[in-house]
Amino acid sequence: MGDRVQIQPAYLGKAAIQVKAGSNRDAVKSLLEANKDAGIVALTGLDMGKKIGLMYHMCTNGVIVTIRTEVSKKNPKIPTISDLIPGAQFHERETTDLFGVIFEGHPNPARLVLPDDWPENLYPLRKDAKIDEALAKAETAPRQAEAVQPQSEGDLVNIIIGPQHPALLEPEKFSLKVDGEIVKHVEPRIGYVHRGIEKAAEQRTYLQDVYLVERICGICNSCHAACFVETVEKILGVEVPLRAQYLRTIILELNRLHSHMLLLGHAGLEIGYETLFQYMWRDREPVMDLTEILTGNRVISSAMTVGGVRRDLQETDIPKVKTQIATLKKKMDFYYKLFENEPSFKIRTQNVGVLSKEDALKLCVVGPVARGSGVAIDVRKDEPYEAYGEIPFNLITRDEGDSWARLMVRLDEVVEGINIIDYALDHMPSGPFRIKVPRVVVAGEAVNHVEAPRGELFYYVKSQGTAYPERVKVRTPTFANIPAFITIAEGGNIADVPPSFVSLDPCFSCTDR
Amino acid sequence: MSKLATWARLKSPWVLHFNSGACNGCDIEVIALLTPRYDVERFGIKLEPSPRHADVLLTTGSVTRQCAERLKRIYEQMPEPKFVVAIGACACSGGVFKGNYNVLDGVDKVIPVNAYIPGCPPKPEAIIDGVVKLLNSVKEAKPNGK
Repeated sequence: MGDRVQIQPAYLGKAAIQVKAGSNRDAVKSLLEANKDAGIVALTGLDMGKKIGLMYHMCTNGVIVTIRTEVSKKNPKIPTISDLIPGAQFHERETTDLFGVIFEGHPNPARLVLPDDWPENLYPLRKDAKIDEALAKAETAPRQAEAVQPQSEGDLVNIIIGPQHPALLEPEKFSLKVDGEIVKHVEPRIGYVHRGIEKAAEQRTYLQDVYLVERICGICNSCHAACFVETVEKILGVEVPLRAQYLRTIILELNRLHSHMLLLGHAGLEIGYETLFQYMWRDREPVMDLTEILTGNRVISSAMTVGGVRRDLQETDIPKVKTQIATLKKKMDFYYKLFENEPSFKIRTQNVGVLSKEDALKLCVVGPVARGSGVAIDVRKDEPYEAYGEIPFNLITRDEGDSWARLMVRLDEVVEGINIIDYALDHMPSGPFRIKVPRVVVAGEAVNHVEAPRGELFYYVKSQGTAYPERVKVRTPTFANIPAFITIAEGGNIADVPPSFVSLDPCFSCTDR
Repeated sequence: MSKLATWARLKSPWVLHFNSGACNGCDIEVIALLTPRYDVERFGIKLEPSPRHADVLLTTGSVTRQCAERLKRIYEQMPEPKFVVAIGACACSGGVFKGNYNVLDGVDKVIPVNAYIPGCPPKPEAIIDGVVKLLNSVKEAKPNGK
């Protein structure tokens, strides 16, 4: 592509390519030619004054490559890449909402995260957006009612699930078009839980942000905090003490245990097997107790901080943790028997919501959803962080690609998680658990990803040399997995929607931020 | 007759849970209430999926702009007398998200609230305590200050 491309190898700690606005498609195309399994991780917008920077973070062979481009703020138009990578559709819609970038040729550029009555031409993540002023003006205008779709079109019946629905614990709307029992079309409307955290992060200090990003999602809170502090540590160039790395690993794995068990119980509820829900949640309580022993809190752990962890592990707590997880491991045998042999469970999940390996790669799904379709990706193996490089564990994959396989992957990972905690406790190094770091972070930027319970969690942080970050971008695993729901629901039975949906482990507070 | 109704309401309050833009932290604690360790069914409390059958609305989250209209509608659909419990720091005052462009800083900006349970998230014991306190207050007081 000649002089239009400029390669900056040391940039962001990873390879980055600078291209002109029209060439973003060519760059993505050539990346796909080099590796057809490459996918998009995130699309970060960045206000650069007169221009808006766009960063396509692509993943190829487990490594993140960034393609950078710029568009002018006055006329922010750029060709779409969603026809090359279908997984990019939602990323582009989000960037349109938050930055006002128009992706030419996008199949469905409807509003995704902002509310229906949000003023036109107000893009919250632009630095010059006068949000309070514009909102006050909009308040005086009459409120628009929530958009309601027509009840039916020909033979197709419209069924709206949400925003308040017994099967959804969170408010989100899904419009399904059904023909008899068969789902023909799914249209998700997310944004009911959009709290504008990326903007809020720019207005708080780095230390305050640790507690803010934890509250993106109450379930995988430790992963958000860990990913954020690791990104900041990358910019600072500090090395965390080994003991802190082990302690972080234990907290992250406890987080995974509780999240997976929560989901497995919830799956029982969705398929009408309430006993499984009650049993699984009963056995999950000891994990919450352990989190409380180690961090002081049951749910939001607040254990991570820039430079280490906030609390050391007491020697007296180690036997308590070890006995609890040994009991939990024994109990897992019961669940294996149940998941593998119970006919009522198998009939609702096996061959339901099948996602083929090809589709999984095309839609760029992550985590247990990808591993349930036989795609062997796991950030803990691909690019080990914290103590994962030193701890032996297995990468779990299943080839069936159905709801059952996705749930089984999680059950296997619970056992792996128990083994990881056990090993980490036995090999816990001595030394400090925290080092002092400056409050003002030097100018720079970094990308980082960790394996959250739901899959790859991605952060991009840009610092301009003050105590406040200039930009924090979060790409959550659930956001990447939403397109998979559309694919597996369409063509399936309406009664199969709950089990296939729950097997993706949806979490809308993550999705919307 | 009204005495009988109050007695029945106190012995078996049906609750509706609505997340108006929470981080899920409070929500998983609300669900944990139903499971064997906390088991609020021993107070006759039952989670009810429809607002039209519910006596108590348990709300979590800081109320996003997109959710506000829906929260109001759910409240309006509930039959009288109705009670609202705001669970968690966000539902009480906006919490960590206070001042963000898409949140309205608390449930009481949209609908009247009878009980506040602070915490981020409150422990299940705290939520039980709050709901039981609300039930005790129902014995004497009239709902929504009427």
